Amino acid sequence: MTRTAVSRGILAAFMLFAAGAGAQTTPRGATDAALVERVKEAVLKELRESRALEDAIDAGVERYVERQRAEAAQRARAEAESRAGAMRPVSRQRDHIRGDAGAPVTLVEYSDFECPFCKSFHATMKKVVDESKGQVRWVYRHFPLDQIHPVKARKEAAASECAAELGGNEAFWKFADRFFELTPSNNRTDLDAVLPRIAREIGLDETKFASCLASGRHDRRVEEDVQNALATGGTGTPWTLVVSKGGKTYPLSGAQPLAVVKQLVDLANRDR
Amino acid sequence: MKRHLADLRAAISRVFASAAYIALAGVLGLVAFLAAVWFPNFGLIAEVLATQAPLGDKLSIALGLLGGIATNFSLLAAAYTIAIAVLFGLCTAMITYLLKRKRTAAAGRHIAVGSGGIASGALGVGCAACGSLLLGGALPFTGAAAALAALPLGGAEFGILGVVLLFVSLLLVSRAIARPADCALPTAEAGRQ
Repeated sequence: MTRTAVSRGILAAFMLFAAGAGAQTTPRGATDAALVERVKEAVLKELRESRALEDAIDAGVERYVERQRAEAAQRARAEAESRAGAMRPVSRQRDHIRGDAGAPVTLVEYSDFECPFCKSFHATMKKVVDESKGQVRWVYRHFPLDQIHPVKARKEAAASECAAELGGNEAFWKFADRFFELTPSNNRTDLDAVLPRIAREIGLDETKFASCLASGRHDRRVEEDVQNALATGGTGTPWTLVVSKGGKTYPLSGAQPLAVVKQLVDLANRDR
Repeated sequence: MKRHLADLRAAISRVFASAAYIALAGVLGLVAFLAAVWFPNFGLIAEVLATQAPLGDKLSIALGLLGGIATNFSLLAAAYTIAIAVLFGLCTAMITYLLKRKRTAAAGRHIAVGSGGIASGALGVGCAACGSLLLGGALPFTGAAAALAALPLGGAEFGILGVVLLFVSLLLVSRAIARPADCALPTAEAGRQ
């Protein structure tokens, strides 16, 4: 429609131009100027009357907005893909996994032992895995927030790794469960009393546990987890990535309600 | 204080006699509340909306995240987040009422105080304890979260300050509405004196 109107304007201009060119009775310069003026007026009149110019501008603006929108969506998709790509692949050798190791949906949680919301979310995650009927596996990674929980959170993360070293995956989860049960969060944990107590309760060799903790040999691993949390976009804890079997990732920030986590699991389960 | 509260009552009954202002306050309060609760999960919401899942499921997840006010906020943070949203809605609707009556100068002063309240409240939104607050989210590892956590209430001070500033703004707007500073017509008695 718009193109037709513009074409009509141009056609009118050509016809006028042709008519003018065929009827040169006055001096050439004056004829040209008058002709150009008539052509201009005719084109403008045609464009005004047909609203072709306005329609063309509207269409151009619409195309521009649409292009911007598509680019923004593409940027968002690229960011999400880069986040998902930044997540270290889950490894049965390295990671602490709860639930069926071959489950289609993976919840990778980056957590801080001194965060009160991680404490409450720990119970939520347990329920999600327990009630998932083998559809979910939970991967626990460390994200101690040194600036707000200095020293203790990182030391507790290393202690949980010592538990894993001495007692395997099962001991790691027993340590984490018991730690969140016993401690008050927000850097108020009495490490000297709590850590040996948990080691004893879950059946670890207390001397070896203390020696492992003092060696600092798991500090690097904890730091690698922190760097991975940051690379995936984590800015606080708990920070959880819900990953489908096909690799689609949903980033969940904070201790969100059980129903939301379950709905995300269902969504990820459909993405197979 | 009694006089301020009387002004507040008078202004509220005058402004909210109109359903349009009730709607405006309600919508703005709701938007402020949604923004505060959804803030840490805007990325997730965008991700979920982009899926092929039924619309009902997508909305259910977005609405479910509002339950985060109970699970992802401390009691204090939840209380001032709700208070800020309510006060923001009331204040903005009443400032709009002033602006519509061309009392621009008075409205401008209150906008300044109210904006301070909103800005301060925004700093306190979320969980300072775990770094997922607005400022911590924007500047995660630059020391901002640590600075806030070093405060006695872990950054909740900003939320409380936000409530106070918005309430002060509300009182000032109420006074401007209930007792306009226009020149009153002289009474006949005053004219004789």
